[in-house]
Order: sequence, then C-alpha cells, then structure tokens
Amino acid sequence: MTSKNSFWASSRENHKRRIWVWVVAVMSQMLVYSSMTMIYLSRIKNQYEMGAFRTVEAFRQAMYQAARDALAFSDNLWPVIVFLGAVIGMQGFSYLYDRRKVDMYHSVPVSKQKRFWVIYVNGIIIYLTGNLVGLTTGTVIAAAQRAVNVDVLANQGLAFVWNFLFFLFIYHAMMLALMLTGSRFVTLCVFGALMLYEIVAYWILESMKWSFFKTATSYYLYGNPKVSPLFDCMNEGLDIKNASDAAEAARLCLPICGKWFVIAAVVLAVAYFCYVKRQSEAAGKAIVYRVVEPIIKIAVVIPAGLIVGMIVYETSFNNEMLMVIGMLVSGVIFCAVMEVLFAFDIKSLFHHLWSGGIALAGILAVFCIYKWDLIGYDRYIPDGNEVDSIAISVSGYYDSYWNENFEYISQADFEKEHMFLTDTEPVLTLARQFQAADREKMADARSVQVLYRLKSGREVNRCFMVDYEDDNAQDQLNRILSSEAYKKGVFQDMADVISLDKLVSMTYSNGAVKVTIPKEAAKKIKEAWMKDMEQYDFTLVRENHPCGQINLQYINYISNRMLVYEGFENTIACLQELEVYYPVKLNAEDIDCITVTNYHNELLEQNDDPEDAIARETYSAVGALEAEFAEAVYVDYTVRETFYEEEQISEILENIHPMWMVSEYAAPEATESGYGIEVVFRKDTAYPYERDSYYFNYYFLGGQVPDFVVEATAYEEP
Amino acid sequence: MIEIHNLTKNFDKIKAVDEVSVTIKEKTVFGLIGTNGAGKSTVLRMVAGVLKPDEGTVAVDNMPVYDNVEAKKKLFFIADEPYFFANANAQTMEHYYSSVYENFDKVEFYKYLEKFNLDKRRRIGTFSKGMKKQLALLLGICAHTKYILCDETFDGLDPVMRQGIKSIFAKEMEERGLTPVIASHNLRELEDICDHVGLLHKGGVLLSKDLEDMKCNIQKIQCVFSSTEDELKVLNGLTVLKKEQRGSLCTVTVRSTREEVEARFATVDMIFYEVLPLSLEEIFISETEVVGYDIKKLILG
Repeated sequence: MTSKNSFWASSRENHKRRIWVWVVAVMSQMLVYSSMTMIYLSRIKNQYEMGAFRTVEAFRQAMYQAARDALAFSDNLWPVIVFLGAVIGMQGFSYLYDRRKVDMYHSVPVSKQKRFWVIYVNGIIIYLTGNLVGLTTGTVIAAAQRAVNVDVLANQGLAFVWNFLFFLFIYHAMMLALMLTGSRFVTLCVFGALMLYEIVAYWILESMKWSFFKTATSYYLYGNPKVSPLFDCMNEGLDIKNASDAAEAARLCLPICGKWFVIAAVVLAVAYFCYVKRQSEAAGKAIVYRVVEPIIKIAVVIPAGLIVGMIVYETSFNNEMLMVIGMLVSGVIFCAVMEVLFAFDIKSLFHHLWSGGIALAGILAVFCIYKWDLIGYDRYIPDGNEVDSIAISVSGYYDSYWNENFEYISQADFEKEHMFLTDTEPVLTLARQFQAADREKMADARSVQVLYRLKSGREVNRCFMVDYEDDNAQDQLNRILSSEAYKKGVFQDMADVISLDKLVSMTYSNGAVKVTIPKEAAKKIKEAWMKDMEQYDFTLVRENHPCGQINLQYINYISNRMLVYEGFENTIACLQELEVYYPVKLNAEDIDCITVTNYHNELLEQNDDPEDAIARETYSAVGALEAEFAEAVYVDYTVRETFYEEEQISEILENIHPMWMVSEYAAPEATESGYGIEVVFRKDTAYPYERDSYYFNYYFLGGQVPDFVVEATAYEEP
Repeated sequence: MIEIHNLTKNFDKIKAVDEVSVTIKEKTVFGLIGTNGAGKSTVLRMVAGVLKPDEGTVAVDNMPVYDNVEAKKKLFFIADEPYFFANANAQTMEHYYSSVYENFDKVEFYKYLEKFNLDKRRRIGTFSKGMKKQLALLLGICAHTKYILCDETFDGLDPVMRQGIKSIFAKEMEERGLTPVIASHNLRELEDICDHVGLLHKGGVLLSKDLEDMKCNIQKIQCVFSSTEDELKVLNGLTVLKKEQRGSLCTVTVRSTREEVEARFATVDMIFYEVLPLSLEEIFISETEVVGYDIKKLILG
C-alpha cells in the first residue's frame, strides 16, 4: 500500500487530471503507427499483385522494408512527437499560468521538487504508453502479414530510443519555455523561438555572407544548424532511416542518441533551475524574469530587423541605404511590439528605450561587420605553416561521381574525400595574388574553390577568381594540376574508387562515333591512360581539346569517363591496336552536308542599347500575344547556310571540333561561339557514326572560320 | 503560533506589504482587516507559503513556511477565489485533498456536506459562489490542519451558513485547537467571529489587538455635567479619545476600564451619565483616529 504522500499517490492524482492528454497521446500514435503500417504494406502487396517482384523473396524483403519504414524511423511520426512533446509539456505545468491554481498547488504540503518530478515523470509515462501502444498495434498488424523479422524489431528498438530522445528534447524545450513565461501565448512564442532561433539566425548570417562576402562559398563545406530539433534532429533521423540494416542504423544512431541525450539533459537542467527559482507571482506575466526581458528583446529584435533588412536589400536590387532604413524602422517597430507583449499594455510601447537602443546598435553592428568585412572574411588566407592539406576545384572539369557503394556523390564531396594537396604553396600563391583582385581587370577570370584543412583540425573554404591568362597563375595551376594528389582527387579512375570487376561495358567516342571496346582490354587501356596522365597539367588542358573520350559503364547504371588528348600516345596506340580509335577529324567523303548558323553576336552587342534590351526582356517575359507586339522591336540576326560541296565541307572539317569535347579550360577565343555547326553524315557511309543522331554539333576553332562561310552567313538588312 | 516579522513584499515597483509584524496566537480567531489593495491577500499568501517574502519572516510553530512541507501540513489556505479542478465534484476534491493532507477526515467531510446540503456528485462548476466557498471551508476544516487561512471567504455567505461555519469553527477550536485566520475588507463581517484583529492599510499594520482588550479599554459615555468644573475634574483624569457636545449632552470616548470610568464619574455630582456598549466599528474608529487615520474612509466606505 502506498502512503498518502508517496510519489506514486501524487502521480496517480496528477494522472486523473491529464486524461485528455492520455487519450491524445495514445490515439495519435496508435493512428500513425497502425495506419502507416497498413498503407505501406498494402502498397507492397498491390505492387506484388501487379507483378512488380520477380521472386517471393524480393516481395518478402519489400514487406520487411515497408514495416521498417512504418514502425522504425518513421518520419510520419515526428510531427506527432513534436505536437505531443509540446502539449504534454505545456499541459503538465500550465497551472503556473493561473494564480488560483498556483494558490492551491503551492499552499498544499507537497514540495516544489516533488511536484515537478511527479508532473515530469507522468508526462514521460503518457508519451511512452502511447508510443508502446501504437508500436505494439502496428507490430501486430505487420506480424499478421508476416512482415516482421529480427531486423525490423531491432530497428524498432533503435527508433524507440531515438524517438524518445527526440520527444524529450521537445518536451524539455517546452518546459523551459513555460518556466520562462507566464502566459500561453508568450510560452508558444518562446517555444517557437527555441525551436527555430538557430535556423533563423543561421539563415540570416548565411544570407548576409552571400550578399556581402565575395569569397563566400558553400562548395566543400555547407554548415547546418546544430541543435535545432526541427532541422538537425530530423535530418539525422532520416540518415538513420536510410541505413541498410539494423547494425548500420545502430552505428549511426547511438552517437546521435548520445548527443541528443546530453542536449536534452542540459535543457532539462535549465528548465528545472528556472522552475525552482520561479516565484508564484509570475502567473499571468509575459516573462517571468524581468532581468531576461531586455535580453529576449535584443535577441528577437536583432534577427527580426536583419531579416527585414535583407528582404529590402533583395527587393531593392541591393540598395544598402534602403536596407539600413528598413532595418532601423523595423527594429523600432519590433522593440515597441516586444514591450507591449512584455507588459500586455499598449501604453508601454516606448518603455526601456535603452534596450531598444542596444538592439538597434546590434543590428547596425552586424550590418557593418558584413558591409565592411570587419572580421576579415574576404582577406583570410592561412599561413603555409598552418595548413595540413588543401582540396581545390579548378573551374574546367566536370564529371559524375560515385562512392564505393555505387551511390551518387557530388564532385565537391568526392574531391573533399580524395584530394589532399600537401604542396600548398601554389594554392596559397594564387590566393595571395587573386583573392582581393578585381575580376573586371582579369583577361579570363575563372573561379576556383578551395578547402583549407588546417593542422588545428579546422576546415575553411573560400572561392575566388583566377586569371587563366596570367603567367604566374598558369605556373601555379600547372603545379597544382600536374600533382598526383590533384589527379587522384578529380579523376575517379586514378583514385580507384570502383573496381574494374564491376565494369559492364566500355566505349570510345570521338564526338561522332561510339564504338565498343572489349571489356578484357579495360585493364590495359586504363594502365595506358594512367601513364599518359603523367603529362596532364594546366598547359595541356588550356591549349588542347580532348580528341576522344573513353566511357566506362559499371553496374547499377553508373559511369565515368577518361578524356583522351592528342598527346596520349599510349592510350591512342592501345585503341588503335584494338581498332577502335577514330581521329577527331572527319573525312569529307563521309559527310552529306554541314549547316552553319551564324548568330551574329557582334550585331547583338552593337545594338544592345537600353530600349532593345527592354524589348528583348519583354520578348522573353511576355506570352505569345505580347511577343507579337515585341517582335516589332526585336531583330533576329541569325543566318543559316548549308554547305554540300565536298571542297567546302573539307575546309570546314579542317577547322572544327566536337562541341561537347571542347576543353572547359581553354581561352574563350579558342572556339568561335558565335557559330553553330551541324554535321550530317551520308546515310551510305561505312563510318561508324552514332546512328541514333541525325546530326552532330561542332564548333569552329578560334579564328578558323573559312572566308566562304563568313560571306555566306553574312547578315543583310531585310 | 504564527509569527510574522517585518514582512515585506514588492510586486515589481509596487510595495504590496511593508514591514508587517503580527503574531497570531493559537486557538483564537484572527481577523485581518483592510481595504482592497491593503495587502491582506499578499500577507495570507505569504503565510500559506505561496509567496516568498522579499524581506522578513513567517514562522508557523517556529518553522519557516516557504517551501517547507512540514510547516504547510499545519495550514490550509482558502484563496479569495478557491480553485477546483475542471469538471470536479466534491468527491473529486476530497480525493485530492485526502491525498495531500494526512489527517483529512473523509467521514466528517461527507457528514458536513450533507449537513450543508451540498451534493457530493454535483459538478462544482454548477455551484453558486456561496456554495463554492462553503465547500472550500468544509475541505479546509476536514483537512484537520492547525491553521485555516481564509481570504475573503465569509464574504457572500448567507447568515445561516455563516452561523453554521462559525459553530463548526467553535467546535473545532475547542476540540483540536483550530486557529482560523480570516481576511476581510468588511469590518462587520468579522465582528462576531474574531478574537483578535489586525488592521492593514497600504501594506502596513495600523494596529493589531485583542478585541476584548480593545472593548475593555475603550469606553463611551453619554453624560450631562452639572458644571464646567465638574466636567474638567472628571475628564482631566481620563485619556479622552473623542468628545462631542450637543447642547448639554456630552458624548466622550475615553481609553480606560469601565471600573475606572465609573469611579471617576462618582467623584462629582452628575445630572446624567451612562456607559454605552461599543461596536467593533466604533472601537476601530476611535483607535485609528488616534493614529491619524479616518477609518470610515478606510473600511466602512
């Protein structure tokens, strides 16, 4: 028998007044678990009936996966957990809002501490009961359809712990919000701030960074909020959800659970401290502790003012003066609103002007930091001794990348994982020369992305423009691109990420042909290509276009390429030996005709007066009817001419290169981008061009447009 | 005994209670009088351990009361608007209070409910204001605490119920030494209940005295003196609090015992004199006028 004043007697009494919360907790979780289980499993069954699974085993595995999705790390449940954490937290301690309730509860012989723990533990019992009832119901439904195995149960166990910690964080955050406030509305505002403040602050600072710092980049490093449950916790949950099995889920889940346990415990400790310190007369007040009012005011007004400022900045085409006015005016308004909220009195609009002044000064300080780069963000170049290694992305080479598990990853992630330049000096030299340079004064400005891995363990990323025409830049880029570390970080075949055992097919293309290379020759070709790649450097890719490309098709439909240059003697010899090598230059006898389109960019640029610009904008922006009207001012300078004579074709072929094999590193004038070329092969030719295509796109090489082409495509006034 | 010493409480910039010192003796009915905003409720809430004093101390049987379960076991606080759980009936409230007060007498509670015609299963939300106050009082009495703190609890009770509660108080005081502390803004409400009265004004105590002492020490005499010399002879030897003259009829209020007054008046040849009974109201008027306050404005409106 429990004594009258025991913890459990108090707990029982407390539960009597939380019946509706019990009902909500049990019903909501039961509904989500059972309905999701039924929906997911019936979906798989329907697919099975439609013949989507080749074997019964595949169907069974899909059923297990569906049960896992519904009953383990189910993102459908997370909104319910957020709702329950907030409701249970608020309902349990809501007596603190009401003076009458406070008078009763605080006058009876029950200690403050005991009351807290009774309500707190009861809240957890309510959630856990609902969760277990829902989970059991869902599991019974899944088991009845033979969709439960050890892996599903193990995942459920992990998800149960993870969901519980997620609930605890929300629950504790709501308790903390409640302990700091004296009315429901303000509690909800503070709870919302606790949930979203970091995301909002992060978003504002990132926006300002992008707007004001020219070396800002998200390449290599993309920061995320760290303690925001609505973002970070759910993201981590999704990662765990995508784990292949329970063991991997456990590996991912346990450290995250540890982190969230610590965070939840810290929030609980703060909430408990506030509860103990909270006085009964706080009931009905907006903010319990007067001392934190100015802190809250400043903390809210600064980001709110900055948000308005950024919106004004974006909508006023980067007008900084309007931004400052917008920030200050909205700052004053937000200060007044906060004061009214604190006092629940419209007359207190302009109380505590000093804290308002600090908030406005804070807004201006943040603006100044970004506007004049007071933190030296754009000036940051680490000292050579500080840097452990560097990854660099030099604008000019793009590919698709995969990891060992045949999963797509971004180029940045691949480079970050595989590129470790320990010869840091060339990169640092480029940074010192170009980071602060004016891109308008560069002959051929290209962006480079840099990741500095510092010896301290910190990682810093920056981007800046480099002039590819600059001699020193070319020297440094040569050192970078010719290094083994760079090549391993850019070319998957050099990094040996995916074994040739997984190769499905291999082809060679010169821009027009696509011939199959025997798989058996893959190793030999790769070795030859690797040897040729020793000569790879910036000068090579700047001054030469690839003459061909070897495509490697692996399992799971993943592929990558090996570019071949004229100087790659070993590779070309190997391809010739296999009789799959075709020079990039085409023969006139194989060609039926060549159509050249001259866009006359020079005329477009000459006539680029404001009125025409407006007209063109109108032309592209308005619909068909309006376009008809706009056509009156829009002049189409395009001239197309098709050449059939073999002599002319032959001369054109001497001066063109396949469009998609033009080197991205090459100078802009290396090709004539004002012309488009469509090469059509004879139908009866033996040349193995890709029969799927009717024509092939080429570019004229820089300054090599034949005179007869220029004349034939000259623009004449209508 | 409840000892309140130099109790001070501020709400933001408002001083609600200012250095109040009062001693509430056991087995007496203590009345706390004051206008709205005088600080009665604040004092009671501090005595009940609801509010933490900014300064000063409250000791219940020598135990500090704030956040002290042992001290709170000796108290039952009935707020001016007592709170009952949503959708609760008398039975529900009994269940709760019997779970927190070890000596709660359920049998007695249901007996009293019957006596006061309160249905134990009827939702309290449907009770009248007076019925709610009765229920709160019965819960407080049956909690069997040593002290029951009633904030404006008697206001609005009909005379029959008032009498009923009064008699229960008397019984409980006699049987187990109950000490009720009753706060009210209406002096007349307390007149027939209290043994000791404390008068609060603007957060401070104007006076705190036993009613009997006050009654015994203040006398009101209507008289007609034979001559001015007689008048001077009698009144010079007494502490005159107030004197009114209408023609030859003189009404004087003096601080003295009845015996002293009668002995004094016997020294001269009076045409007429009579010692009149004083109401609590009149005692207060006299006492507070002495300290410079117009009690009529403060309490009687």
